[in-house]
Amino acid sequence: MFWEYRLVLLRGLAFNAYVFLAAAAVALSVGLIAALLRINRAWPFRWIGTLHVEVFRNAPDYIMVVWVHFVLPLLLGAAIGRRIEFHPFVSAVIALGFVYSGYFAETFRAGIQSIPLGHIEAGRSCGMSEFLILRRVVLPQVVRRMLPEAINQFVSLFKATTIVSLIAVPDLMYQVSMVIQQEMKPLPLYTSAALTYFAVIYVVAGLVRLLSERWRNRIYA
Amino acid sequence: MGNWERLVWNQRGVLLQGLMVTVEVCLIAFVLAVLGGLALCLVRMYMRPLKPLAVLLTEFFRATPIFVQLMWVTYVWPEIFGWPNSFFTAGWVALGLQSSGYLAETFRAGIEAVPRGHREAGYSVGMSPVLVFGRIVLPQSLLTVAPSIVNQFTVIVKSSTLVSVITVQDLMFQALKLVNVWYEPIEILTATAGIYIGFIFLVSTAGKMLADMLRQRYGLAAA
Repeated sequence: MFWEYRLVLLRGLAFNAYVFLAAAAVALSVGLIAALLRINRAWPFRWIGTLHVEVFRNAPDYIMVVWVHFVLPLLLGAAIGRRIEFHPFVSAVIALGFVYSGYFAETFRAGIQSIPLGHIEAGRSCGMSEFLILRRVVLPQVVRRMLPEAINQFVSLFKATTIVSLIAVPDLMYQVSMVIQQEMKPLPLYTSAALTYFAVIYVVAGLVRLLSERWRNRIYA
Repeated sequence: MGNWERLVWNQRGVLLQGLMVTVEVCLIAFVLAVLGGLALCLVRMYMRPLKPLAVLLTEFFRATPIFVQLMWVTYVWPEIFGWPNSFFTAGWVALGLQSSGYLAETFRAGIEAVPRGHREAGYSVGMSPVLVFGRIVLPQSLLTVAPSIVNQFTVIVKSSTLVSVITVQDLMFQALKLVNVWYEPIEILTATAGIYIGFIFLVSTAGKMLADMLRQRYGLAAA
């Protein structure tokens, strides 16, 4: 049964991967900005960063996906005076990207604050600009320190991509429910869907963890 | 503000009813998760022959998305086991199973963090293994992992939004139903998101305070 529909289902799994990659890019960049705001010396920036983190870390993924898909276009449309609509894929990426940016912001912040102040002062005393210090001194160390934690969050993000089927992004779960509506056989299909996700997540996450440990040990020990 | 009053304030009864169902599902799922997690962890650590089974279950619960598990429990389990027989039951079973996988690993870390000497001290005064576990190991490890347990509860609340998909009438379900009646999503969905964010924020803050208080009272302040 599962084998019969393998092409459709594989295409669905590819969609999971697209949503994941796009949302991960959004989450990483927004998360870094939020983390930098949060440790800024000026309090208005710090408050914005903290608000961002608290809102998105406490928001359920599903309500955010639905909110971005149904409410945000109306608000933006009212602002620019034109009717707009988001493609489900765009809504999914925005919503998941922003929700996970809250988690990534905390990971980045913990990483940045664990860098000894002396490294930053050393950079300053050599006459490096703040941006250059961030890029050359702080971030390379932060990335290595936060990798294990970040991988866990990437795994959660990938798992969260299954709910985009609810706003009709044609991912694996969506295709599976479509096939079930035709065939009326939930047992083999849902079971194999669960096993597929399990295999993909378990194997890929394990592999990535192994590689990242090797890389960390080589450069960072 | 007229819209807010009409769409949110006047519907507060329905929304509150939904929130109650959310709380109910989450609490039952949480109890199942703690008991299941403890069982998985104990089997894994102390029952050699069953260890592979416990490891497999833990990893399966941890590595499959909650939405997939929810669908699987709801539509496949009745065919295999003839149970769960209602959507509400399926909802808390799925939420509880997923979290029990995470909590099993958390408990294991907590138990392994208890120094060996504490256990040996218990044996040397003649306590039985069960007594040592119940009086010495478990209380200490629960204190160590208390913040993670609180965190896991907020994860359950977040995932519980998905039980609306299988028509459990939680807050999310009521909100989406109101949207389908009025066709005015802005106020309803914004308010619902606000309720969820506020609720989870409150739960996690209160939980952290409780965990800190317990740890301070029983002498784990440094951890």
